[in-house]
Amino acid sequence: MPDSAETAAAPLIEVRGVTVRYDIARTGTSLTAVEGVDLDIAEGEFVTVLGPSGCGKTTVMNVIAGLVKPTEGSVTVDGRTVTGPGPDRAVVFQDYALLPWRSVFDNVRFGLEMQQSLNSGDWRERVQNAIELVGLAGFEQSYPRELSGGMQQRVGLARAIVAEPRILLMDEPLGAVDALTREVMRDEIEKLITATGKTVIFITHSIEEAILLGDRIVVFKSHPGAILEEITVDLPRPRSERGAQSDPRYLELRDHLWDVLQNEATAASRGGKGS
Amino acid sequence: MSSLFAAPSGLRAQRGVAGFIAGLSPRGRALLIVTEVVLLLLLWQFLVGTLGLVNAVFFPPPLDVAQGFVELVQQGTLAQNAAVSVQSWLTGFAIAVAIGVPLGLLMGSSVPVDRVFGPIAWTLYAAPAVAYQPLTKAWFGFGTGPVIFLIVISAIFPIMLNLAAGIRTTSPSLIRAARVYGGSRMDVYRKILLPAAVPFLFAGLRQGAVLATIGMVVAELTGSSVGMGAVIIRSANTYNTDQSFAAIMLIVIWSVSMTQLVGLVERWLAPWNRRKGAAS
Repeated sequence: MPDSAETAAAPLIEVRGVTVRYDIARTGTSLTAVEGVDLDIAEGEFVTVLGPSGCGKTTVMNVIAGLVKPTEGSVTVDGRTVTGPGPDRAVVFQDYALLPWRSVFDNVRFGLEMQQSLNSGDWRERVQNAIELVGLAGFEQSYPRELSGGMQQRVGLARAIVAEPRILLMDEPLGAVDALTREVMRDEIEKLITATGKTVIFITHSIEEAILLGDRIVVFKSHPGAILEEITVDLPRPRSERGAQSDPRYLELRDHLWDVLQNEATAASRGGKGS
Repeated sequence: MSSLFAAPSGLRAQRGVAGFIAGLSPRGRALLIVTEVVLLLLLWQFLVGTLGLVNAVFFPPPLDVAQGFVELVQQGTLAQNAAVSVQSWLTGFAIAVAIGVPLGLLMGSSVPVDRVFGPIAWTLYAAPAVAYQPLTKAWFGFGTGPVIFLIVISAIFPIMLNLAAGIRTTSPSLIRAARVYGGSRMDVYRKILLPAAVPFLFAGLRQGAVLATIGMVVAELTGSSVGMGAVIIRSANTYNTDQSFAAIMLIVIWSVSMTQLVGLVERWLAPWNRRKGAAS
């Protein structure tokens, strides 16, 4: 089984005891966003992170991305401690974060241009390839405002993969996309990424997305954010087609995750911080 | 406060007259405005010129104003004074841009600078520039100096404060994106903050152009013997109110033209920022 081989090799991403606290100047108190998160992610693994909003899952992702410094603990990627963003990690944002004054082509180029990758002569082809890979050929000269939400997120995805990072960090990438487009894009993301063998952390609050995309699901709880449970998903790929959703194992997982999240939501509201 | 300057973008479903106007094509809308103006002028001419409801000296009808315009041109008064005004305006506005833009950039990108200069800038902005007028004679004498000063002081704050607000309100996720893809502080500044602030800068320039004209006229009205403001005062003092009105109209045309010009430059420099069909 590949499972045993994977556990033998050192994980690509190691999150060790990560705690993030924010000082709130106005009240003089501090807010613990996440507390004591330990997580190992192997090369090529697709990990979905599931949890209620405000549970700190985005914070953990930002720490891995190098955008947020942990108050305690550390993250290493390929054995090196993360001190800031790097070309080995790319982020797909929930709100797309495209530059409205740039065309699709130039937005995708943004993923390359600040890493001195424009020196290599083939950058135009790389940008073009990324655009074609996400199905946006013909829209190179469009501005983001001329595109639908789903198409804008395709631009965000192309920008993330153009520099060929080893790790893709996706922060609820389909959260702002309409339901139908969401399913189509979920399936495309599965195909695209399993084909390239990238390591992915995919944040979502959709149970369905978590199961259909993840090799493993990490469930978060809130107040403070911490890992509640980890579940390995052993459904065969590709799962995207409707078949997986009638698989008894899929249904069992779905019900289980429902229960876990519901208990957590009830506990959270009893804790007085119901949100 | 920044929302005060931001262009109105929220479109709501409208009914009645507002809905009818909103549904018009740009050409239809222009036609509507022209019709409106012509009707008003006709009414004005009829009420004052033909019926004599108001003494024409106080409120000269359009044909008299046209006559006054012709007089100003024939006397050579217009060419001489308009040239002085235009020169003052352009000088003052250029100075306001040259000082306001760098200060706005500084205030927008540095919290300490904003803390120190922000309150001062807002206070000066809140004080009517007109109030400085009597002092300007002591500071700059009787030439065009006071006029230029009042133009600068009127135009500089909207330019500076809008630009600063534009930089400060840049979406944090764009800044995060730049950092993720290897952007240095300089990259964030050049590739994110500056372009993101462009629409705000132009909102400030448009406002500054109007306020500059007001500042100019106020300064010329009292402190100057030349310029369009001086023309208004002189003609009004000699009961040539038709000429005063002609001068006022020309100033209005100038002010509107300058804001339109700023809009044109914006559309050319920032084509992504067309208001129609803006995202979300």
